[in-house]
Amino acid sequence: MSDAARVTALFVAEEACAGAITALRDAGFRVARAFTPFASERVAEALGVRRSPVRWWVLLGGLTGCAGGFALTIGLSTLYPHRTAGMPIVSIPPFVIIAFELTILCGALSGVLGFLVHGRFGRDAPAPGYRVEFTDDRFGVVVDCGTAEVVRVDEVLRAAGATEVSHEAA
Amino acid sequence: MATPELGYADVNRLVLKTLTPPGRRYWLGVACLAAVVGAGLTAWMYQVRVGLGVTGLRQPVMWAFYITNFVFWVGIAHSGTLISAILFLFRTRWRTSVYRAAETMTVFAVMTAGLFPLIHLGRSWFFYWLLPYPNERGLQPDFRSPLVWDAFAVGTYFTVSWTFLLMGLIPDVAAARDQAIGWRRRFYTVMSLGWRGTDEQWRHFSMAYLLLAGLATPLVISVHSVVSWDFAMAQVPGWHSTIFAPYFVAGAIFSGCAMVLTLLIPMRRMLGLEEALTPWHFDNLAKVILGMSLVVSYAYISEAFMAWYSASPFEMETFHQRYWGPYGWLYWVMVACNCVIPLLLFSPRIRRHLGALFVISIFVNIGMWVERFVIIAGSLATSTMPSQWGVYKPSPVELTITAAGFAWFLMWFILFSRFLPIVSMTEVKEGIRWQRQAHHAGEEGAP
Repeated sequence: MSDAARVTALFVAEEACAGAITALRDAGFRVARAFTPFASERVAEALGVRRSPVRWWVLLGGLTGCAGGFALTIGLSTLYPHRTAGMPIVSIPPFVIIAFELTILCGALSGVLGFLVHGRFGRDAPAPGYRVEFTDDRFGVVVDCGTAEVVRVDEVLRAAGATEVSHEAA
Repeated sequence: MATPELGYADVNRLVLKTLTPPGRRYWLGVACLAAVVGAGLTAWMYQVRVGLGVTGLRQPVMWAFYITNFVFWVGIAHSGTLISAILFLFRTRWRTSVYRAAETMTVFAVMTAGLFPLIHLGRSWFFYWLLPYPNERGLQPDFRSPLVWDAFAVGTYFTVSWTFLLMGLIPDVAAARDQAIGWRRRFYTVMSLGWRGTDEQWRHFSMAYLLLAGLATPLVISVHSVVSWDFAMAQVPGWHSTIFAPYFVAGAIFSGCAMVLTLLIPMRRMLGLEEALTPWHFDNLAKVILGMSLVVSYAYISEAFMAWYSASPFEMETFHQRYWGPYGWLYWVMVACNCVIPLLLFSPRIRRHLGALFVISIFVNIGMWVERFVIIAGSLATSTMPSQWGVYKPSPVELTITAAGFAWFLMWFILFSRFLPIVSMTEVKEGIRWQRQAHHAGEEGAP
């Protein structure tokens, strides 16, 4: 039989959820994940999560789009030269518009791709401990611990204001 | 207060209630709109078969109803991005209940706008000639042309708007998934991409959403600037003006916010969203409309001043014709709708009276459509050489396709509103959280 257990707690209030995470971390337990019905800065702060790497995806996508925009316009205008309205073949000011649009397009699409990759989307497998109440009005904390620690974790969670605590073998 | 007594669960209850199977009246409404779309499609097929001669387009007015519709619908789209992205960056609280509807409006408005240049092409199936692709003819689009900028700008706007809307929907669709049964559950399961609301998912979602909003903000301004340059880059009196970009952007926000009111006021009652969409939200939207009306009025005065100040007889004659020429009456309709009637919004009572707001929003929509027509067709009709002047009259084909454009837009919006959450549950919950915190801190919250 496994020695590992998973404890899931439900909270009505965001503050209680954040407080429980802080208390658990202070007591030396590892919070596997938290569930919130909306983006909660308090819970994120309590978990001490780092900034998302999605921003690098956006930066990379934007730079690629910008470079691609200039390469496309300058390259094709040079390869297929056709002078119109007395303007130079390579006219940077109008090309900036194309490069700008492609910067935005590639930055946005790359950002969404990064979000999907890092958020591990595309699967319908429920995250362990997930309850449908978490998309409604409840906040949740999931703690992975040893079976011997379940009682202590339960105490910490209830002391922090959990309305419901359940545990199972992990 | 925005949503004074709502709890988090109430928000789900309110919004998910709108996703129950619609009744016969709903489907009858959709069928009527689909019939108008069908009529428009038939008119378009007729035009494709016979040629652009079935329209009223004749020299010198070769841009008229279709291009007016294009500019109008692109403009309508803009307020959605303003509300969903720009006001998001400013952390404006009143946007939470209205932004999803506005963003949805954006997507369908761009979808509608994109049809009109294709229809106007005549040989619509050659639209891809605007895009750079390897071909045996050795031809490439001229990147110095505003029409090519337009293809890139509108294409980017369409893609980013869809992306922004679908991404924002993920947490809400997951909430719908958890309550739905049958095919709806399967549909929401696919759309929610396995969302569970974990801290990791929120972390990446928040960052991606913030950055998308940051990208959409300059994009929205660039798109209508580029649309305005379709005109401003041409040496046509009445078009060739440096004020066009900010003038068009302000007009776009003005008309778009009015369209949000036109859609939300009846929808609020039909979907039972009175608790989520309160007079406070409409009051704030009305303030934006009032502000934009003043900017647009300033632009009208500025245009007239610059025509006079330029001492160019062509510019002065164009504006003389604009006020007193064949379309002069339309100009004054435009002034009444865009500059005079919105002044009623200085009254706080009117800003909170939904019936009055609805009527004003209709006037603004009419005024802004007319503004596009006056600028486009009016300037071409009486351009430089009096011997080449001519008056444009729309043909039944153009009128039918224009009506079909409105029906197409409304049909998609109505379909969306009963199958996907038209109010963002997660953002309304954030708004409630903010109000509670403000209340606890003893601060002044929403009025």
